[in-house]
Amino acid sequence: MYVALRDLRAARGRFALVGLVIALVALMTTLLSGLAAGLVDDGISGLRRLPLTHLALEPDSGGTFSRSTLTATNLEPWQHVEGVEASPIGVSFVNAKGPDGQTVSLALFGVAENSFLAPRPDARQALAGGPGLVLSHELAAQGLHVGDELTVAGSETRLPVLGFTYTGSYGHVDIAFTQLATWQQVFYGGEAHGRFSAVALRTTGGSDQVTSALARANRAAGTETLTKTEAYAGSPGYVGETQTMNLIRGFLLVISALVVGSFFTVWTVQRTRQIALLKALGASTSYVLRDALGQMAVVLVVATSVGAGLAGLGGLAIQGSDVPFRLQLVPVLGAVALLVVLGLGGCLVAVRRITRVDPAGALRLVD
Amino acid sequence: MSLELENITVAVPDGRSVLTILDTVDLHVGQGETVALTGPSGSGKSTLLAVAGLLLRPDQGTVRVAGVDASALGDRARTRLRGRSIGIVYQSANLLPSLTAREQVEVVAHVNGRLDSTTGARARELLVRVGLEDRLGARPGALSGGERQRVALARALMMEPDVLLADEPTASLDPVRGAEVMALLLEEARRLGAATLLVTHDGEQAAGADREVRLRLGHVAPAVA
Repeated sequence: MYVALRDLRAARGRFALVGLVIALVALMTTLLSGLAAGLVDDGISGLRRLPLTHLALEPDSGGTFSRSTLTATNLEPWQHVEGVEASPIGVSFVNAKGPDGQTVSLALFGVAENSFLAPRPDARQALAGGPGLVLSHELAAQGLHVGDELTVAGSETRLPVLGFTYTGSYGHVDIAFTQLATWQQVFYGGEAHGRFSAVALRTTGGSDQVTSALARANRAAGTETLTKTEAYAGSPGYVGETQTMNLIRGFLLVISALVVGSFFTVWTVQRTRQIALLKALGASTSYVLRDALGQMAVVLVVATSVGAGLAGLGGLAIQGSDVPFRLQLVPVLGAVALLVVLGLGGCLVAVRRITRVDPAGALRLVD
Repeated sequence: MSLELENITVAVPDGRSVLTILDTVDLHVGQGETVALTGPSGSGKSTLLAVAGLLLRPDQGTVRVAGVDASALGDRARTRLRGRSIGIVYQSANLLPSLTAREQVEVVAHVNGRLDSTTGARARELLVRVGLEDRLGARPGALSGGERQRVALARALMMEPDVLLADEPTASLDPVRGAEVMALLLEEARRLGAATLLVTHDGEQAAGADREVRLRLGHVAPAVA
């Protein structure tokens, strides 16, 4: 990189400009990564934190709890599967009025009090008492306290706040745990007949054994089993949001590759005579390529790091606000690496030109 | 170490026919000898220089540089031979715009894989020899035409080449500066004992060489006394 580094020093204004563009793309890509992660978190963190591995739902419900209704008949076969722990769960969205008249939206998770689904020991203890709610910690920040009574709209059921558990949401709504019987009362009134939304499964043992056990139990129970990750797609808006974010990120990456590729192609065209001279001086094509690719890599890595770093600082500033934003190191590093790789990919045209420069061009040079 | 060109023929397509630029040209430049290559425009001087500098493969003929038959070599080996055994001074200096005078000379060692702890000192010594001891850190934009050509000469000498080629090296300089540069070139060529081929239109410069070879329409013209 003897010549490349000196080019960077001598033409720093030009490289700073293209670096600025790349840094801005990296900044936007990183911010979008944070927003995408935040939106995903907002959409499914409540489900993700449930200690289950699979969900058995009504066939063709596509992971959407509101399209799935199961009964004890569906649950029974699951309770005898070796290596699988099964517990019914009811999931629905409700609005409730708080003590000050404020409306609170809740993703209501009805779980059996002593099941593996009940969150944390303190919450499990709270659910073991009378009917009530264990709320996402987020709702404590909104002014709700233990002992407050919430009136569920529609059923007019009054439920006290029994406690708070981890922060989580589902379908962008804060989660609340209640006893399964209470959930059935809220959702079906007196006509529940033991109905619930899905069977939550926690598997142990080897994957082959589990797969065959799940298949057998599925047939017997008349259900459809999804992994926890597959079930995320059932969260309202989840698929559309993630696809939109990925599309925007994809566009940004393509634009970045085109900008970087165009810049280095023009730069290479301008340097054609210099490259011919280097070859005439004895530089092999691989030497010239290493020099040029090294220069491109330096610009890309520095610019994307600056952009991602600035986005990280910006992200820290907005994290915790109402904007769903969550910075995760691995996706951010992945996006930065992808920017660098695609940027270098965009430079392929330039690289091709370099390999074709004829050293005889040095004889026709004019300063 | 010498430069030997035997039976060199170069032809290029010219519409539906073929234009022969060099036709079975033979030229031998001995070690320490300076040969002036003269002739009218279009006679094939620069093409012969390109063939001698391994920048162009002839359609026919043999090129031997320092005893090595370059005709039999692949592109990579020709590049290596050119870098280590041939120094070229161009009509214009052809300096790399981002490099200082010292770096212009050092880069030759770098591209040829000969960069070591003595490179900087050797580059400096060469620039001192061509009278640029005060201009080591200057970039091409800050150098005069004569200074640029001196840097180009130092660059051509960096690998202590067996063969030195010069393509009208003073054409872009005024007569005084041109004479200074030419005197330096001939002095350094003799010091190195390089086989030197000098393309020139200038009768005085040709007279300063050990021998003159005239090209006319791609052929070597009869010797001039």
